[in-house]
Amino acid sequence: MGAYLMRRIGVSLVVVVGISMLIFVLLHTISASPGRAVLGVHASPASVAAFNHDHGYDRILPLQYVSYVNSLLHGDLGYSYKLNQSVGALLQENVGRSALLTAVALVLAVVIAIPLGILQALRRNTVADNVATATAFTLYSIPTFFLALVLIAVFSLNLAWLPAQASQSSSVLGVLADPASMVLPVATLTAVSVAAFSRYMRSSSLDNLAQDYIKVARAKGLSERQVVSRHLVRNSCLPIITLVGLSLPALLAGNLIVETVFNFPGLGLLFFNSLQKEDYPVLLAYSLLVGVLTVFGNLVADVALAVADPRIRLA
Amino acid sequence: MREAPLHLKAAAAVVALAAALSACTGASTAKVGRASTALGADGASFGTLPAAKGTPMEGGVVRVAESPGAGPNYIFPITPGANGSVYNAYQFQNQLFRPLYNGPVGTEPKIDTVESLADEPTFADGNKTVVVKFKGKHTWADGKKVTAADAVFFIDLLKAAVKKNASNFGNYTPGYFPDSVAKAVATNDTTLTLTLTKPFNPKFFYLNQLTLITPLPSSTWNRAAVGGPALDASVPANAGKIYDFLAKEAGKLSTYATNPLWQDVNGPFLLTAFNPNTSALTMKPNPKYTGPQKAHISELQQVAFTSESAQFNQLRSGSLEVGAVPFSSLAQVPLLKRSGYNVYGYPGFGFAYILFNFKDKTGHFDAIIKQLYVRQALAHLQDQPALIKGVFRQAAAASYGPVPVAPKNEFTPANATTNPYPFDIAVAKKLLTDHGWDVVPGGTSTCKAAGSGANQCGDGIPAGTPLSWNLYYGNQPAVIGQQVTALVSAAKQIGITISTSSKTFNYLIQNFSDVGAANTSKWAMQDFGGFSVSNYPTTNQIFNTTGSFNIGGYSDPQADKLIDASVFGQDPASVSKEASYLTEQLPAIFQPNADNVLAFSTKLSGPPESFSTLTQYRLSPEYWYFTK
Repeated sequence: MGAYLMRRIGVSLVVVVGISMLIFVLLHTISASPGRAVLGVHASPASVAAFNHDHGYDRILPLQYVSYVNSLLHGDLGYSYKLNQSVGALLQENVGRSALLTAVALVLAVVIAIPLGILQALRRNTVADNVATATAFTLYSIPTFFLALVLIAVFSLNLAWLPAQASQSSSVLGVLADPASMVLPVATLTAVSVAAFSRYMRSSSLDNLAQDYIKVARAKGLSERQVVSRHLVRNSCLPIITLVGLSLPALLAGNLIVETVFNFPGLGLLFFNSLQKEDYPVLLAYSLLVGVLTVFGNLVADVALAVADPRIRLA
Repeated sequence: MREAPLHLKAAAAVVALAAALSACTGASTAKVGRASTALGADGASFGTLPAAKGTPMEGGVVRVAESPGAGPNYIFPITPGANGSVYNAYQFQNQLFRPLYNGPVGTEPKIDTVESLADEPTFADGNKTVVVKFKGKHTWADGKKVTAADAVFFIDLLKAAVKKNASNFGNYTPGYFPDSVAKAVATNDTTLTLTLTKPFNPKFFYLNQLTLITPLPSSTWNRAAVGGPALDASVPANAGKIYDFLAKEAGKLSTYATNPLWQDVNGPFLLTAFNPNTSALTMKPNPKYTGPQKAHISELQQVAFTSESAQFNQLRSGSLEVGAVPFSSLAQVPLLKRSGYNVYGYPGFGFAYILFNFKDKTGHFDAIIKQLYVRQALAHLQDQPALIKGVFRQAAAASYGPVPVAPKNEFTPANATTNPYPFDIAVAKKLLTDHGWDVVPGGTSTCKAAGSGANQCGDGIPAGTPLSWNLYYGNQPAVIGQQVTALVSAAKQIGITISTSSKTFNYLIQNFSDVGAANTSKWAMQDFGGFSVSNYPTTNQIFNTTGSFNIGGYSDPQADKLIDASVFGQDPASVSKEASYLTEQLPAIFQPNADNVLAFSTKLSGPPESFSTLTQYRLSPEYWYFTK
């Protein structure tokens, strides 16, 4: 297991370095001189030139990259010209709220999807299974923003049961203190995730139910509850482990659409706004963060799978 | 028709009337010289504004929506280009720090003499000396007078800032303010004397340059560190140190509401809370405010939003007193009105345009577009009334030149009050056929009579040259694409093939805005939106041959001469003459100006101008009050 872990970590580090170079080159290819975009159409050429010089955008790309990596290694993610704050501070301000939103939705989705998928597999082709399948397909096919707007229209504007916007508190504790405001955004994210996860879980459970070890377990005289809890759940959860691992980037990187519709500023929105304003340091830091999280999520998923299924690490 | 004359009432003209009306209505606004009469629909407005009403109630919280993704994030009035925005300047800084000359008045782009710190300047010495007399009644929060020395302090710091880096001040253009000020002296507490490097047109200098000055509390801000010794800012090195310190403090957003520096204000409000993450903020009235109107409300909240839809949902749910109505939600205006909101829209002062690249040699476009008759033909292909009705849903005003009819202003030339080139495809076709083009409706028209004669295509256009080129346009807002599509469709009817491509705004201005040779032949036409302009709407930077944003390379000696007169001449009407010439010459296709539509609670009242000015991005909440 140790060798497997070291090998996977080594590969991940190489991928992270590659990602940083790729992101850097791509962003600079899109726009090699962001001065005009940052300063706007009213800025004089002298101002644009001064800005580009001041921020090193008039240097050759390799030099800019070396300077960027040097800053990164010193813990400096840069400074957002547009937002007038350090990128580190911006990420710090947003990461907790984004993580809270997505984590709650993710946990709820897993908690609902796993038993739902198993239940559907055990009662396949019954009315309950068909209703759950139809619901899942419907939720899965509805665009997230549309679902969010429908929820707002029904529960906020018409019934006035819940606020139309999420908590505006800057702190995680502040958000937790206003749970009603988080119901609709969490429900939106959860609904979409449950739809996806439950389909995977149902399919995986059906595959496992047809396996010999399930038949053996039943032949040994185990109750159906024991068959499900001891044998079916663990093996059927393998795809979910992968899915949850791949959800880690979203956990911190935020959910742009939900953040936008529910007025919940987070990392996703920070990225979107920075993209529109070509706020380079923020774009670079965010892209790198997502890249690292994706690699990390894959690593976690691989390790978790290896723990759950020892055959994987042996292969 | 949109061309109907405007009937906005100038505030200055209704001072006496306001006093009489407020006596009738119970409004306590007469003393400040604000009109309380309603502003009616004038052909350019979207809806009407009610008159001030009811008995003002002291206190109450007003929640105003910030523009999504554009919340304020810079408190120091010497604002870098990266942070320069109307939201930072007008809606945030100006609540705390009043500019020397404030404006507009309602929707009218002019100096608000009531709200300004000084009287109209006088010019002497062949317009090389400017004397500004302060009113002498304004004070800082610490009780000290706002003096001419505070304006000199601002100029000293600004000079130091732009010397360090030209992008340290968003409104900086080399050669103009503050470079144009050779010497700034506070002759006494109320007299500021500026000696200029060369004569400027007094109107230009007053409306365009002096408006950039925001006096700063020189006796408390003249330090390079917290608790440091007072420095003489007239020494450039000291000014540089002070600027660095203040700019550094301005970078600490989390301290905005607590840093004593930012509490020494002369505006009507004090900042009490600022969220660095969202830019949401809270202000309370400045008890030491000595301006014309103290706030009635007890708290102003500027609420941050992530999107237009999130903001509109809050309006719908009644959680905002003031907010914008997005274009996509105009259909829901009746619903808003039933929910207790007044809705009003008006265009900002500026112009939208499709510009030409006079340097694009592809397919001889430079030679083609140089011909006035071609530009006239293209202008005749734009159906402004139809666009306003179909694309803008009536929330726009027709505009035919760089100085629009609406908002009402003193500079609109006579030839821009009605469309000099109304929509008429037949006329456009005739212009081409009269000049030697073989017009093929639905196909591609070509030049059949090469040459420079009156009935020939023009210099540099060989026989057989097709009328075919490209047009890049911004993908946001959607109305840009819709207008372009309509133009392209009309052009095709006279055999002009315009291939279109949509790009982001940033892509357009980064790739197609080089005023140098690099821009040649990259594009033929583009539509990135337009410009908002200052109270003095010269196009010096846009259509002057040497203009810093003359990205299409328009060059006309007569236009240059008129622009030069607008900036450096004596004639106060110069800018009208400049606008008149450009309206006729069409350096671009001028498009309708979209309205900025706002909703505000019917529980809130105040002088109509204090609400209509929201359409010009200004915020005057000190005039608002809840009614009993």
